[in-house]
Amino acid sequence: MFLSIENIKKAYGEGDSRVEVLKGISLTVEQGEICVLLGPSGSGKSTLLNIIGGIDSADSGSIVIRGERMDEMNEKRLTDYRRRHLGYIFQMYNLIPNLTVRENIEVGAYLSDSPLNVEELMHTLGIYDHRDKLPNQLSGGQQQRTSIGRAIVKNPDILLCDEPTGALDYNTSKDILKLIETVNQKYGSTVVMVTHNAAIRDMADRVVRLRDGMIRENTVNQVKTAAEDLEW
Amino acid sequence: MKNPLRKRLPRELKSELGKYLVILILLIASIGFVSGFLVADGSMIKAYNESFEKYNVEDGNFRTQKALNRAQTKNITGYGVALDEMFYVEQKLESGSTLRIFKIRENMNRACLMDGALPEKPGEIAIDRMYADNNKLKVGDTIKSSRHSWKITGLVALSDYSTMFASNNDTMFDAILFGVAVVSPEEFDTFSKGDLFYCYSWKYRASPADDPEAKEMSEDFLEFLRGEVKLVDYIPRYLNQAIIFTGDDMGGDRSMMIVLLYIIIVILAFVFGVTISNTIVAEAAVIGTLRASGYTRKELVRHYMTMPLIITLIGALIGNILGYTWLKNVCAGMYYGSYSLPTYTTIWSGEAFVLTTIVPIIIMMIVNWLVLSRKLRLSPLQFIRRDLTVSKKKKAMRLSPAIPFFTRFRLRVFRQNLSTYFVLALGIFFGNILLMFGMGLPALLDHFQEEIENTMLCKYQYILQMPLEMEDEDHKLQSYLSGLMFMRGVETENPDAEKISVSTLKTTGSPLKETFTEDIMVYGIEEDSRYLNLDVSADQVYISSAYSEKYDIFPGDTITLREAYEDKEYSFTVSGIFHYESALNLFMSREKLNEMLDYDKDFFCGYMSDTAITDINPDYIGQVIDLEALTKVSRQLDVSMGSMMYLVDAFAILIFIVLIYLLSRISIERNAQSISMAKILGYKSGEITRIYLMPTAIVVLCSMGLTIPPVFYIIKILMKIVMEAGMTGWMEIYISGKTMMKVFTLGAVSYFVVSLLEIRKIRKVPMDEALKNVE
Repeated sequence: MFLSIENIKKAYGEGDSRVEVLKGISLTVEQGEICVLLGPSGSGKSTLLNIIGGIDSADSGSIVIRGERMDEMNEKRLTDYRRRHLGYIFQMYNLIPNLTVRENIEVGAYLSDSPLNVEELMHTLGIYDHRDKLPNQLSGGQQQRTSIGRAIVKNPDILLCDEPTGALDYNTSKDILKLIETVNQKYGSTVVMVTHNAAIRDMADRVVRLRDGMIRENTVNQVKTAAEDLEW
Repeated sequence: MKNPLRKRLPRELKSELGKYLVILILLIASIGFVSGFLVADGSMIKAYNESFEKYNVEDGNFRTQKALNRAQTKNITGYGVALDEMFYVEQKLESGSTLRIFKIRENMNRACLMDGALPEKPGEIAIDRMYADNNKLKVGDTIKSSRHSWKITGLVALSDYSTMFASNNDTMFDAILFGVAVVSPEEFDTFSKGDLFYCYSWKYRASPADDPEAKEMSEDFLEFLRGEVKLVDYIPRYLNQAIIFTGDDMGGDRSMMIVLLYIIIVILAFVFGVTISNTIVAEAAVIGTLRASGYTRKELVRHYMTMPLIITLIGALIGNILGYTWLKNVCAGMYYGSYSLPTYTTIWSGEAFVLTTIVPIIIMMIVNWLVLSRKLRLSPLQFIRRDLTVSKKKKAMRLSPAIPFFTRFRLRVFRQNLSTYFVLALGIFFGNILLMFGMGLPALLDHFQEEIENTMLCKYQYILQMPLEMEDEDHKLQSYLSGLMFMRGVETENPDAEKISVSTLKTTGSPLKETFTEDIMVYGIEEDSRYLNLDVSADQVYISSAYSEKYDIFPGDTITLREAYEDKEYSFTVSGIFHYESALNLFMSREKLNEMLDYDKDFFCGYMSDTAITDINPDYIGQVIDLEALTKVSRQLDVSMGSMMYLVDAFAILIFIVLIYLLSRISIERNAQSISMAKILGYKSGEITRIYLMPTAIVVLCSMGLTIPPVFYIIKILMKIVMEAGMTGWMEIYISGKTMMKVFTLGAVSYFVVSLLEIRKIRKVPMDEALKNVE
């Protein structure tokens, strides 16, 4: 088992304002899978992703990744865990404004002992021609490609994507999804992707649908649709 | 692989050039000035210390009524000392000042030529460099006395006159009205023999190791001399103020300068801290992403600390280069303004480098590390969500809708920028200290001078000087005759003259420094004195208000004073304070003082008088304390520190402008999006300025006004500490309301200049700023 999530619970606030965001989530993800977390706003999918990413903590339950229990890790080990295993992609690209495309990707490469080849990666991501531009000279799609580059250049075991296409138009969104698919296939990264776009479920190996902090559906796609062929 | 984040640094520098440039300028100015001061101080002290050997400075000098004959010279040199004639004349110049003129010295107390050439022909003269500066004389000028005229060929520093004490009894030197000079032997021979002062310098064959040994040797030598010649004056080197005053005084400002530098560095470190905090807010999402990607907190702290450290390092390096070149000369100039020192060679000081480079970097590192560690301790998720409040339950400040909208808006801006305003107020507080110090000193000196004039005990005090033979116990008859002549010579018919006994005793340490001692002049006065309205009957003892203020002594307290060169100590219980700010004095009845010092009941050694006493033998007058003598201190301080005060003023204004500029700029940057949005909504520039600049203006003006009273007390405390720790005498710390107004006005004008720049900056905020990074 690559990623095992066991009875995760999480609540915010206290007293009357206490909101249970996750009410006992359990699921497993195999290595190399694309797992899509679907659900409406407030369903707890982003919270779950953040807990998997070690940037938020669960009130109870456990997450085991490659045999290591996250709830037993202190802050230093959590940072190290993120450094070695995780790549993060956000809806808003969060690029460093005064670093070029290449340098923003190098920011990720710096964290790894064996990073991917930055030049080759930029070719793969289709941003090689923009390598010396600053983020404010790029379109939204190009910025998201750069942030994907930053996330995967360290060759992470898991790529965590929080609404990666949320701020993009249809065509650009498809391009980004194709890219994530390519990364998954080429580098073998496990992908956990949060989205509220139901069409994306077809490109996943596993689909987990949440509502009100609980899993309503956990299915494995027998037949996947290529990102290229997704329609919405 | 090197951290790619470092590539941001040059771009960050370029994009924020203005901000970093002003910080850099301030760092360069402060580090450069302190470095220059430390280098000049160290080099000057070394030059001064080396001058003793280099210019063969005497171990002492004595004066006789006539020149020694060959036998006397042979006997004295046979004692084990080398002798050198140091004859001189004193000429009153047309300018009103007095010049003490020597023959060019070939052996002892040689002159250091600072400019021009030594005189070779009759009619030529080389004068003291500092005297020349103070009297605006230069090489090529001509100076005249009633009978002589000389062309100045050079400027010199005489190694036995590093401080211009005309008499060793003087309370303060005077480099304006008194100077020294050398002429060629031919020119010196033109002076009338009757005008000559027969002074001889001596040097022991085996130099004394320390002051106690020097004292012992000089006492033995004095004993021997008394048997050989009739002495008029005898001053061993360790007591000669013209030689030792400089060495005692130098180095005293060192710790104050270093503290000053560190205060500035801490303030600048906080400015960086506030700037960085602002950057962290702006880059919160990026920081969150980096942390989520695995960047450690330490790596980010290091990254954000790099720029302040680089700027400090650059500032320290440039500052040190300037310190070692240009500013060193500026600081040396301040020493040259007070003392007649020889030329110096710049000495590389490792300690100065550490104090002005390593320590500022460490201070910058610690302050920034503290600020950053606190700021970056939030979780990656909080950064991603831009939830940067440390307190979870931060609520909006409740403001009544009855308060006008603009006022509420401004209050919110004020609250948002509280930390910035705190640093701003701190900077203004510090700037005020400097400004009040710089602007207050000339006023303080004026006040001191006025106080002296208004509270003089009498117009003239004559302190008599017994001839040395009177104390010669080996020649009783000569001593007796000498005593008789003295008694006759000091009698006066002047009806204003009132006899006094005077003795100088030493304090036994100050509250701050046990080893610090200074002279207290003890007056024995008539019980019905017409000059001092004090009841000194029945063992009553009074002290001057200056003494009371400096040492915190009040009626009822007991003070202990000691003899300068003996172990004898005297204790007094203070009966009252006499308002007299000019000097540290103790007053008691003449009879009581005579009894205490084992003198005859009728003994006296001076006069107080409101008119000049003209009928006593001038040879027996050791010192005349009149208005001119009492105001020497303030005049000399005005000359030697006047130029420095302008420098302090300029520096204080620079600090004002830089801090106000940097910190008010931060509040505008922090609100750039809101300002932009206000513009989109249709707010006019004037309205926006009122919202975002008014709180800063209020903080600046309030800080300036409110910090003046505490600044006044801090200056008072600081100056008291400086005086208690190592400065002789006392000066009432007086800062007039006019000075305070000047300080406030200057600060307000500085702010006005900066606010014009800020208005320009607000106008330049683009409207699309509001549309950036909107999530």
